[in-house]
Amino acid sequence: MIRAQALSKTFGDKTAVDAIDFTVKPGRVTGFLGPNGAGKSTTMRMILGLDAPTSGTVTVNGHRHLTSPAPLRSIGALIDAHAFHPGRSARDHLRWLAASNGIPTTRVGEVLELVGLESVAGQRAGRYSLGMGQRLGIAAALIGDPPVVVLDEPVNGLDPEGIRWVRALARRLAEEGRTVFVSSHLMSEMALTADHLIVIGRGQILADTSTEDFIATHAVSYVRVKSPARAEIGALLTRAGHEVEVVDNALHVQGIDPAAIGDLVHRHGLAVHELTLVRSSLEDAFMTLTADSVEYVSKTREEVAA
Amino acid sequence: MTATAVVAERAADTATRQDFGDVLRAEWIKLRSVRSTWWTLGSLVVLGAGLTIVMCWGNADWLASEGADESPGSFITWGMMIAQITAVVLGVLAVTNEYSTGMVRTTFAAVPRRSRVLLAKSLLVAGLLFVVGTATALIGYFGGNYFLDREGVGMALEGDVLRAMYGSGLYMAGLGLLSIAVGTLLRHTAGAITITIAVVFVISGMVALIPGDIGLFIERVMPGNAGSVIATPVTFNPNLLDAWPSFAIFAGEVAVLMAMAAVALRRRDA
Repeated sequence: MIRAQALSKTFGDKTAVDAIDFTVKPGRVTGFLGPNGAGKSTTMRMILGLDAPTSGTVTVNGHRHLTSPAPLRSIGALIDAHAFHPGRSARDHLRWLAASNGIPTTRVGEVLELVGLESVAGQRAGRYSLGMGQRLGIAAALIGDPPVVVLDEPVNGLDPEGIRWVRALARRLAEEGRTVFVSSHLMSEMALTADHLIVIGRGQILADTSTEDFIATHAVSYVRVKSPARAEIGALLTRAGHEVEVVDNALHVQGIDPAAIGDLVHRHGLAVHELTLVRSSLEDAFMTLTADSVEYVSKTREEVAA
Repeated sequence: MTATAVVAERAADTATRQDFGDVLRAEWIKLRSVRSTWWTLGSLVVLGAGLTIVMCWGNADWLASEGADESPGSFITWGMMIAQITAVVLGVLAVTNEYSTGMVRTTFAAVPRRSRVLLAKSLLVAGLLFVVGTATALIGYFGGNYFLDREGVGMALEGDVLRAMYGSGLYMAGLGLLSIAVGTLLRHTAGAITITIAVVFVISGMVALIPGDIGLFIERVMPGNAGSVIATPVTFNPNLLDAWPSFAIFAGEVAVLMAMAAVALRRRDA
């Protein structure tokens, strides 16, 4: 379990994390979601004692990591894709990590096998691809067989097979009863992996809810109506107080379900060619929620929004 | 719960508790498993012993002549003056390669008590440099003294000559520690190497140009001057204090920098 209480971090006059409270519970995958610069990595570094909080606390199973008696047996983390020396082999990297926490050397072989790097373990890690580097980082996170696992953007640079593997791994770790905290800036990725979501934007928690509820609450849905009598139907729905938008040759109607539209159209004796309930994707929901909190807005998105 | 179960549990607890020995073993694996350690130590031996032998070979007949105004004792560890660069590189790299690669976050997540990491690195680098530095001085002595002996100006391995042997080891170890401290403070390889070498070599020599008592004082306390006296039986520079008082000054300077490094390491975000 990870618990943050009024956790804050400021760099100069910039507040990266703003008095956040959250709890990451064991037995499920918790997604930590937010746009780039939202405060995800800073929060994760504070969990690991790498950055000192400006105020507030964060504990791992009740202990601050800085005073942990057995750090790697308490929490394992992938924080930086290439947090190893490029001239050192993967095996040596894992060997020093194991030694630093009194973990038996046999564990090195186990985690190498787990991440599928045993055949290249003797190579200098600097020769690894980004994906192999991520796998080495995950092996390092798991070396102490920790009850709490923190993965910062673990799918970055992975191929589709690697992405599926990370998802399955995260799920399995959670099923084993561990606390699994995975950050991402990709909503779609989190929707497939996480049971629970903590959404952060501009250093503040925007949502802390199950993935299912998040989708239900935040994903906007509308009904697409196609009809030769588009103008009449549009007028009818607007008069009834619904929000109607003309997109290409169809109407997008919000606040009413397809059945009600069908009944309304039928009462007026008009024809309908299509009546479809469209749920916007989770990515859209995420965009909607964090729209005001993104740090760097790209031009195209501004244009789309306008 | 039975008594044996309690004992078993306690035993397991002590076994898993991170102690300084764990950190020392981890840092030893780190130091061993990068090439830079081996080629800096290799260079130390080649430069330290090799240049001493070459200088003794080249100067033996002059040193034996009437016109000689230097002592053979100033030549018998000559190579160490150049080899000290490798000690600086080894010490700086032990710290800054962690920062340049981002590995420092892995290190401090695994060992949150950062002062233990600094202490382990310091012990290992200083120990390694003491052993290799002393061995290098001895190789240089045996090689160089062969040529001095041929001209009748050889020295026995005793007194100040013997002190200069382990003195070379001590000076290399001290330089390694100084470099670890500077590396920790600057967290940047090129910057730390440049500054350390500039202070130890260039500025230590240049301060001799400052006139008067203040100039003499500064010349005596500059780390490159105060530290190196112990590494040579007869120093080229007659202005400096004796070997042990000089080394005490140097050790004090290293201690102050190390303390600053320890404070910075604790306070700054990794």
